Amino acid sequence: MHRADYVIKRAFFALMTVFVAITINFLLFRALPGSAVANFARAPHASPQLKEELTKEFGLDQPLLKQYGLYLNQLIFHGNMGISFADNQPVTSELAGKLRNTIGMVTVGTVLAISIGIVTGFVSAWRRGGAVDAVSTNTAIIAYALPTQFIGMMLIFLFAKYLPTAGMRNEVNNFFSGGNTWDSIKDIGTHMILPALTLALTLFGEYTLVVRSSMLETLGEDYVLTARAKGLPQRRIVVSHALRNAMLPIATLVALSLGFIVAGAILVEIVFSWPGIGQAVYEAVATRDYPMLQGAFLVLTLSVVFFNFIADLIYFRLDPRITG
Amino acid sequence: MRTATKLVVTISAVAFIATGCSGSKGGGSSGDNHLIIGTTSNIDTMNPFVTFQQNSYAAFEYIYPQLVQFAANGTTVVPDFATKWTTSPNGLVWTFDTVPNATWSDGQPLTAKDIDFTFNTILKYGDGPAGSLVGGLANVKSVKATSDDKLVITYSVAAANVLQELQGIPVLPEHVWAQYATGDGKGLRQFPNLPENGQPLVSGGPFELASYTKDSVAIFARNDTFYGPKPHIDGFGLQYFSNDDAMISALRSGQIQAAINVPPTAVKTLKGDSGLTVYDGPGLQFRDFIINSSPHKTQNLELLDPRVRMAMEYAIDRTSIVQTAWLGYAKPGATILPPAAGIWSDPSIKPLPFDIDKANAILDAAGYAKGSGGIRVANGHPMSYTVLFAKDESGAGDTAFQIIQNGFKQIGIQITQRKEDNDAVNTAILGDNNTYNKFDLAMWDWYPCCPVPDFILSVVQCNEFGNWSDTGYCNPAYDKLYKAQGLERNLKKREQIVYQMQKILYDDRPYIVLSNDDTLNAWSTQWDGFVEGPLGLFNNLSKASLTEVHRVS
Repeated sequence: MHRADYVIKRAFFALMTVFVAITINFLLFRALPGSAVANFARAPHASPQLKEELTKEFGLDQPLLKQYGLYLNQLIFHGNMGISFADNQPVTSELAGKLRNTIGMVTVGTVLAISIGIVTGFVSAWRRGGAVDAVSTNTAIIAYALPTQFIGMMLIFLFAKYLPTAGMRNEVNNFFSGGNTWDSIKDIGTHMILPALTLALTLFGEYTLVVRSSMLETLGEDYVLTARAKGLPQRRIVVSHALRNAMLPIATLVALSLGFIVAGAILVEIVFSWPGIGQAVYEAVATRDYPMLQGAFLVLTLSVVFFNFIADLIYFRLDPRITG
Repeated sequence: MRTATKLVVTISAVAFIATGCSGSKGGGSSGDNHLIIGTTSNIDTMNPFVTFQQNSYAAFEYIYPQLVQFAANGTTVVPDFATKWTTSPNGLVWTFDTVPNATWSDGQPLTAKDIDFTFNTILKYGDGPAGSLVGGLANVKSVKATSDDKLVITYSVAAANVLQELQGIPVLPEHVWAQYATGDGKGLRQFPNLPENGQPLVSGGPFELASYTKDSVAIFARNDTFYGPKPHIDGFGLQYFSNDDAMISALRSGQIQAAINVPPTAVKTLKGDSGLTVYDGPGLQFRDFIINSSPHKTQNLELLDPRVRMAMEYAIDRTSIVQTAWLGYAKPGATILPPAAGIWSDPSIKPLPFDIDKANAILDAAGYAKGSGGIRVANGHPMSYTVLFAKDESGAGDTAFQIIQNGFKQIGIQITQRKEDNDAVNTAILGDNNTYNKFDLAMWDWYPCCPVPDFILSVVQCNEFGNWSDTGYCNPAYDKLYKAQGLERNLKKREQIVYQMQKILYDDRPYIVLSNDDTLNAWSTQWDGFVEGPLGLFNNLSKASLTEVHRVS
């Protein structure tokens, strides 16, 4: 009963957050100075009336409240995110493809970052004060401090001769030269290396530092001292006692990171021209494509809220002190 | 260990499935007789009624017939789907003979009736869904295919620019589009016009659109049914890069074979690469310093004073802008029709030299005395202004601004930069109810579609308030000349009117043209035959470039 109350409460907060985000997404772009139709009316043979026509077609001639009502109605009752101003195609289907591209690349990068971060953080804490700790910690701090685009550009300059630097696959060569499914797997895999590595390098430092800090905290606890006093082997103390207890903040961090798995890739996608949701946001911002922006930010919001919700549940499960 | 292996395999599988594991689409072409062209400007859509991107228009040039096209020099009009044409003595009726027995890529007949359908559809829906194309058919009274190979277009006035305007309109296959040209015509804008079910888009140009992934790549395969000269290549891909450094790296590493609109910062490196050819030629794009010329301007009215404008021009060091901001890959500009516009650019118009003393003397003589901090005073207030700075100009434009700011400081005029995205700058320029009443100065650029005078000269007309005008300039005498040049069918006489118009603009200075960008393209030395022009190797003016390009090694 107690647990159900907690879950319901968190779910309610999550839904409210989504609703507020939808509203802000709707208003934010319209509050910016500038016009959504100005760009789209800039065709070389356009009629002077085109601006007005597009304003009408996009529904921007309606009062803001009415636009908002229509947007909510379509979104909630029909699952319709609208029609992109840029190409007149449904936002939902365009975003679905982009999201699929993003998730693949970001999953690899994030899992790589988590794996490296946990191992290096753990080793750092275990060998605290030694050369391994110094190298690991300083590397993590440097990686954490470097901007994503800088890391991406450096990787491009270093590896452009050996690895693809743009796109998700070499569609042109595949088209003209043919190839089997295995070639396609290799193609996507090689295209994914640099963006996923960039993401991993950007993220792993944070994991390393959190894991190290959490481990050091638990290694100083009384129960670890007791375990040592009992004469347990060092490996068992670290793995069975310290690491398990240190997992609490790590699990939270991982869950929160997964929430940003979609949003966090915007810079990586722009550097590597990866046709995902980040690049879609970039293009939509440049053209004031409101429906695409609203849709993309809704996906980003849902992703963050969902994984925050999961983090809450994990925390509740792992930490008996939380009562909701 | 086994768990870790499982994890890696699982992650790889999930990632692969998530990113889509569709294999090759085939295509049947042999070897590597295709090339990939890198671009930093995407194809927003393949629907000609929706797009506003240059690369989309260039793509239409290669997949659809046009009545005529431009020759390599960019100014002469030569046949495309129309083999020849005649004009009635009064200039109102144009009769075009088209290629007989031509077919679309799906085998359906391609005739003058397709032109009849396309043009009449645009005219019918010009006030609505076809609004982005109807300008090319200005003054057209009727369009009629009198047979499969003959088209008659009747105009309400005898226009001088008929062929140049018609060049920009793609001919669409009636058997594909007719179903959307009904009712309110909204279907025309909703049709995605993309390859479906593995079938290429029905095309009539030298290439057919075989595959398209938005914001990624468009693949064009040779159309063997094309009525004109067949391309030497099997096809090409237009690869989109959201980052120009990555495009340059891809070119140097051989991932792509050509790159359009290479940034000036990369040219030196590319020229040092023996495996690459770099084209550095005159371009149509120009960078301008805008001085609000609106009669509705309510403050800082001294900026309407021609002497202030002239002093400003004397204080702009164009040579430094070209050398420092553009690294030498631009030319000092003077008129809005740059030399790349060929005969239409008035060669007698030259930029004023950088002369701070002269600028100061003009302002002193005009009575704008220096006040505190060395800033001059006009109408009781310091000559201190905000320059609206469009995001498009970021990078080299920032350096150009600093050079201008430094020059103005020496003549007692203070300027500060307000950088905003393009739409925000546009809104700020338009002011209240499109009266251009608020802004003072701005920096932006123009990238005219074609090396003809009609469009770029039109943007400063009075009737462009709220539309293309970004200066608030309104001069009825100028507008009269614009109308006259559009009706003058004698080339020499028209040229003189166009020169006269450029002179008026130069003297009135709604724009101080800062520089003309060079067209910068690069490609692998393994390829040759690209036909370069003011809009680069992939453009909407002619089908020649990618028809003639071929592998040399």
